[in-house]
Amino acid sequence: MRRSELRRQLRIRARNIIVKRERRFTVNIEVKSLKKIVRRLMRMNNYTHLSTITALEAGSEIEVIYHFAFTDALVSIKVRTSKDEPLLPSIVDLIPGAALYEREVHDLFGVKFEGNPDLSPLLLPDDWPEGVYPLRKWWSAERILAKLGGRR
Amino acid sequence: MSCEIPFGPQHPALEEPINFMFKIEEERVIDVKPRLGYVHRGIEKIAESRNYQQLVYLSERICGICSFAHTLCYSQAVEELLGLEVPERAKFIRTILAEMERIQNHYLWLGLTAKEMGFETLFMYAWRDRETIIEMLDMISGKRVNYGVNTIGGVRRDIAESMIERIERSLEHLEKRAEYYTKVCTKDPSILKRTVGVGILRPREARALCAVGPTARASGIARDVRADEPYAAYGEIPFKVVTYRGCDVASRMYVRIDEIKESIRIIRYALKNMPEGPIRVKVPTRVPEGEAISRVEAPRGENLHFLKSNGTDKPERWKIRAPTLANLPSLCRMLIGVNLADVPVVIAGIDPCIACAERVALIDVKTKKREIWDGKDLWRYANEWYRRKYGF
Repeated sequence: MRRSELRRQLRIRARNIIVKRERRFTVNIEVKSLKKIVRRLMRMNNYTHLSTITALEAGSEIEVIYHFAFTDALVSIKVRTSKDEPLLPSIVDLIPGAALYEREVHDLFGVKFEGNPDLSPLLLPDDWPEGVYPLRKWWSAERILAKLGGRR
Repeated sequence: MSCEIPFGPQHPALEEPINFMFKIEEERVIDVKPRLGYVHRGIEKIAESRNYQQLVYLSERICGICSFAHTLCYSQAVEELLGLEVPERAKFIRTILAEMERIQNHYLWLGLTAKEMGFETLFMYAWRDRETIIEMLDMISGKRVNYGVNTIGGVRRDIAESMIERIERSLEHLEKRAEYYTKVCTKDPSILKRTVGVGILRPREARALCAVGPTARASGIARDVRADEPYAAYGEIPFKVVTYRGCDVASRMYVRIDEIKESIRIIRYALKNMPEGPIRVKVPTRVPEGEAISRVEAPRGENLHFLKSNGTDKPERWKIRAPTLANLPSLCRMLIGVNLADVPVVIAGIDPCIACAERVALIDVKTKKREIWDGKDLWRYANEWYRRKYGF
């Protein structure tokens, strides 16, 4: 895949596309254009599947990365949402296979996905306290243990 | 009559114990909901407090069966961040071990699937042959599982000249056996009755649900990281991506048996063309700031590791996506419409074992009667059902 092709197909500014190395592209986009961009990506040649969704903390925001696999590249779509009330549109209606990945991010980072029909806990126990998102840096192991009242 | 059946969670073969909530009508499954997390170990959280060298050992323990694929995936990500080129010989050794692990995994899978069908002889046969390849892995690495061969910057064990002859002899044996299994699995009526047309996953569904590995390839989709994004020495070795179009458990079986043969060919080629030279390079403990994504075709499918470093000796974020999570939505799709008696075989179809489906509780919605079944009861029920229906 070439950078120019990606730019043309996704109809975005060139400075939002970062080529990390051969076969690795990162695309920074706004939350509001997420579904539009995903739809365009899926129509591209050589698109195979959504590999996974990664979330990580970036200062006061949460960065969510969608890894799209192509036969000749891996395109990472990056969006950011606020840490206080993280909300993203769900892409389950476009890619049904994204359901579990969204639930995983919801469990571990507390990002809500608007439109995902089932955001019940996937990895965490049913009686997990509200507001404890284990992969956020603030929630150190000690803090989580204290919140759980010392039980493991 | 429609019932709800919780299934699991004791289920180690799916890497984690897992629970399926089945809704059934008569004997057909009409809906299924998976629930994970019974052995969520928090590896991604632990990783934030460990240095890069320690994480090699942690990644080895993500999965007991495809441990090599995980260490390879992790090492590649760190090597990319360091801007390191691994020696050629190390790349070949990685390829050989990755393929040996695939053979080992597929024989394990074949045995367990045979056991789910009540075909215990095939189970014993497949596991006996698996010993052969495990002995070879033991010879090279010194261990039967969790080989500890991969490290950042190369591999820790070399393949000596004297080993090559022994490996070749065992490959010859394994190839003969793989031929035999092709014959058995395409001809034996009891296997065909239990697998053909069972657990259908159409290509369109496999695409939409992002299936990976043998599960996708059995639905006719040639999706293979080794071919799409060659890592280690795969770029220099000719091989073909095995696909079948049956979309059922039988196809998943044929894909894996053919992959065993293909892996044998890859190992032979790699042994013959392995270059001389060092097997590892020295690496610094601090990793410069950056992000890397590494993909590996594990025996069960695409494995993805995302690594973000912050300039210290510990990673900022390490994300692991193992193939089973990617195949779960597809599994749920396959299970809809199948007979309760076929559930064990279909679950085994994406991954080795359901032998430890410890407890199954059957609740009759009308009478609110609740029966608790363990894995044995379900297994007995499944095999009795087929015996009654087909007389074997």
